Amino acid sequence: MAGPQLFPIYGRFVGDFVPHLVSALTSDTMPEIAEKVAVHSVGRRLPARWAGRYEVLLDGKVIPDQVTLGELVAERRLPPLSWFDVRWRE
Amino acid sequence: MNRDEWYDLARDLDWTLSYVDEKQAFPDEWTGAGNIPPSAWPDWDEPFRASYREYVRVQREKDAGAYAVKEAFKRARGFDRLDVGHQAAAMLHMGAVAMVEQMAVHMEGRFARFAPSPRWRNIAVYGMLDEIRHAQLNLSFSHDLLKQAPQFDWAVKAFHTNEWGILAVRHFLDDTLLGSSCVDSAVVTNLTLEHGFTNMQFVAFAAAAMDAGDVSFSNILSSIQTDEARHAQQGFPTAAILARFDRKRAQDLLDASFWRSLRLFHLLTGPAMDYYTPLALRKHSFKEFMTEWIVHHHLRVLEDMGLMKPWYWDQFMLSLEHGHHAAQMATWFWRPTLWFNPCAGVSRAEREWLVEKYPGWEDSWGVLWDEIIRNLNAGNMGKTYPETLPGLCNLCQLPLGTALDRHHLRPYTTTYGPRLYHFCSEPCQWIFGLDPERYAGHMNIVDRFLAGQIQPMNLEGTLAWMGITQDVMGNDSFQYRWAKEYAR
Repeated sequence: MAGPQLFPIYGRFVGDFVPHLVSALTSDTMPEIAEKVAVHSVGRRLPARWAGRYEVLLDGKVIPDQVTLGELVAERRLPPLSWFDVRWRE
Repeated sequence: MNRDEWYDLARDLDWTLSYVDEKQAFPDEWTGAGNIPPSAWPDWDEPFRASYREYVRVQREKDAGAYAVKEAFKRARGFDRLDVGHQAAAMLHMGAVAMVEQMAVHMEGRFARFAPSPRWRNIAVYGMLDEIRHAQLNLSFSHDLLKQAPQFDWAVKAFHTNEWGILAVRHFLDDTLLGSSCVDSAVVTNLTLEHGFTNMQFVAFAAAAMDAGDVSFSNILSSIQTDEARHAQQGFPTAAILARFDRKRAQDLLDASFWRSLRLFHLLTGPAMDYYTPLALRKHSFKEFMTEWIVHHHLRVLEDMGLMKPWYWDQFMLSLEHGHHAAQMATWFWRPTLWFNPCAGVSRAEREWLVEKYPGWEDSWGVLWDEIIRNLNAGNMGKTYPETLPGLCNLCQLPLGTALDRHHLRPYTTTYGPRLYHFCSEPCQWIFGLDPERYAGHMNIVDRFLAGQIQPMNLEGTLAWMGITQDVMGNDSFQYRWAKEYAR
């Protein structure tokens, strides 16, 4: 069975002014994706929040934490550089 | 004989081809005549009516003046005494523009050979000589300053690198200056870019340079502008004839080129006007300049041609509030990828000016700068640098998000053939859709990165691939001194 594959996405942290190129892995869960996207915005151009948590959205809908990127790619036939949003979980 | 007696005869000099077919000598893909019948071209006219003798006499006088001022300025080492913000604007201008003038030589040369009217071919010869003069003036100015600032080497070097801003400039200008038919190039370059945008920019920049004490740069810009005002006239009769016979093509060309010109102005002109120009010397904001000069002019052109406002006019007006602020933040944050030191331009006094000119500035941009400032004052320099590439537009090549602000950021995507394309805006997506085969094969920097063309796949590898060397690598032009007042 093949191991995790690199899968590039565009990740936008909601509130920042640009999305970034993020090297994700097909084995990444949504919290892992969120961390990889947030690191380019939170604490750089957007203030961090104490004990704040993130959530990931695809096409405007929140994706459950336990879902992996590989599952999403397979289920929705996502191409490389698909756009993901990450935001603070209220 | 006085000139009026022979001028029309001389410029209409043409002959009936006998050894080759007309279509072989003037292929449609070069002329761009398309649906325009040959009988339309005798109506092509321009108002300058220059003869070669007059042209050479006037140009010689202009050159004598420009080079004399430049020489005096060089001997007095005047550049060293200029504000660093103005120095940065000059470095940006020379890197991004000098070779564009050289590319324009090729475009005018194409007109001189393939334009479908002998009058047009005649004046294009002067246009070609103009552009040779402009390239040489810019290179000579830059050469004088090489000992003071290695960044001026980029007047020649920039267009032989993969620096991202230069690739964005080339994506548009390779297309129109080097790769389009005469008709398309005249409408896009002469009418929209030269007459509509850069002509006005050169007037404004020349005035700003003079105010800043850069007599030489100001003088060169003014000298160039007088030529531009003449040869840009090629666009008017061409667009008028095109609009008469192919209204949709004229409208599409004008709409597409207006947006593409705007995106380059967001990148190159807006930051220089609103962030690099010393505060005391600012007369107009970029938005005021665009509204007063560019918008008014473009609407008049469209009205004269019987054409409509671009369909994206509301988005254009909104982009005047944001596009160049976005480009400013992107260029400053990704500053190691520049060949000059950018100004942040967000001291407290500068922010007050920005808010006065752009009432929503703090909410769109100030909050992002606040976090950067906090990191600068806390010594977290690493957090003020990027660790990856921004998403890039597959049309204008600029970062996604830099047409508007963070509140309007959303994906614009098109699936064409086997892949997904991203765009910074609806107009860029629309331009791609006008002729997808023209653009689909082009790989932006993110595409090239993912294809393994940039090695090693990290910031150092990317900077090396862009041709950025340590001696020019961009850093804050004021060494972050402006941020200290926020720590008090």
